[in-house]
Amino acid sequence: MGLSVQDRGRTVATFRHIHVEMMETLAQWTPSAPEMEVKLMLGEHIWDVAQNADALGKRTRELRLPLQHSIKPADPYAGLLADIRKEADTARRLGSFYDVLLPGLESRFRAYLDQTDELLDGPTVRILQQIQDVQSRMMKQSRKLRAELPELGKVDGEWLKALTRRESQIASVVA
Amino acid sequence: MFAPGPARDSRFVVKERWIECANFPIGHPEQVGQFLHRQMNEEVDSLESSARNLSDFPDAPWEIRLHLARQCADEARHARMFRRLFEKRDGKVGQYPVLNFQYRIITQFNSLAARLAIQNRSFEAGGLDAITDSIRQAREDGDLELAELYEAQVADEISHVRFANEWIRTLSEGNPANLLRIAQAMQTASLAFVAVMGKEGVEGVSYPADREGRLEAGFTRDEVEITAKLMSKDA
Repeated sequence: MGLSVQDRGRTVATFRHIHVEMMETLAQWTPSAPEMEVKLMLGEHIWDVAQNADALGKRTRELRLPLQHSIKPADPYAGLLADIRKEADTARRLGSFYDVLLPGLESRFRAYLDQTDELLDGPTVRILQQIQDVQSRMMKQSRKLRAELPELGKVDGEWLKALTRRESQIASVVA
Repeated sequence: MFAPGPARDSRFVVKERWIECANFPIGHPEQVGQFLHRQMNEEVDSLESSARNLSDFPDAPWEIRLHLARQCADEARHARMFRRLFEKRDGKVGQYPVLNFQYRIITQFNSLAARLAIQNRSFEAGGLDAITDSIRQAREDGDLELAELYEAQVADEISHVRFANEWIRTLSEGNPANLLRIAQAMQTASLAFVAVMGKEGVEGVSYPADREGRLEAGFTRDEVEITAKLMSKDA
């Protein structure tokens, strides 16, 4: 049996919450990141993530929840987001966001798309596919920036691997 | 009167007052370059202020937050626009000292209505007047590249002022205490601006109000006429 309308609503609302948190994280980092090029990239990505949150928020209404409804993710994932947000070093910020969080979400979107019915849940499918395209561009831009400014890519490999493991061990973001 | 400033990397020399910056007269070979560099940093300030508005007010209505997020992207793009032209004209990032006064004035206030009134409705609206006059000047000087940059910029800035005008009215109707917060913030911001610019920074600066732009940006006819009269008195 596939996902019910209620299941879809809860998942979309959780994805929305995550995107709003990501938007706030990038916004919080922008003034405190010393590097101008990082600020400018984050500024653009704030808007990307906001639009993704908005699309998800319009969809929650269609899934019988309030407009722009957010549901807090499962505690382990909420904790991960909070810890990433607290990062103060630019390289660790970029690594955690673009090399861990976004690829992790990409996997979760794929899992959802595999699970849901493409016809019954068509609008969600379309939204997630569009978000995947946007995120792919964001990750590419971050790689390009770190290639141009190698100092921004200097992060402890073991720390990054541990964070990736932590993210992947969270079975579901939905509380 | 000032909050702490945003971070800058080692290329930048940050000053506190206009008089400490490189201020070249019109006609000086470095005047336009220095202006482009200053504008680049001021757009970064605007980006940072809008970003702070997003992170500092998580309970603001979603529609305002979406506008703020868009403003972040626009201001980032403006900074890139100024940088592109500056570097095309052989400028180097960090070549001149910068001021971060806008960010430091705006972010001291703990009310979103007050911050929008200062950043969007005052600084950016004042920018509409300056930019429109600069478009005219750039075309007269034959600098079509610069005129094009300004035209793209002013179209975006009108949107920023417009959403602030709409939302300040909504926020004030919902909570009239916001009007008092705005009035107090405007007074503090004016004093701070004078402290930064000094007499030297404002002497001889004169251009008309951009009536059309201000109307498009959501000011009422009465507000536009009052501003126009005040600005013509300062001339």
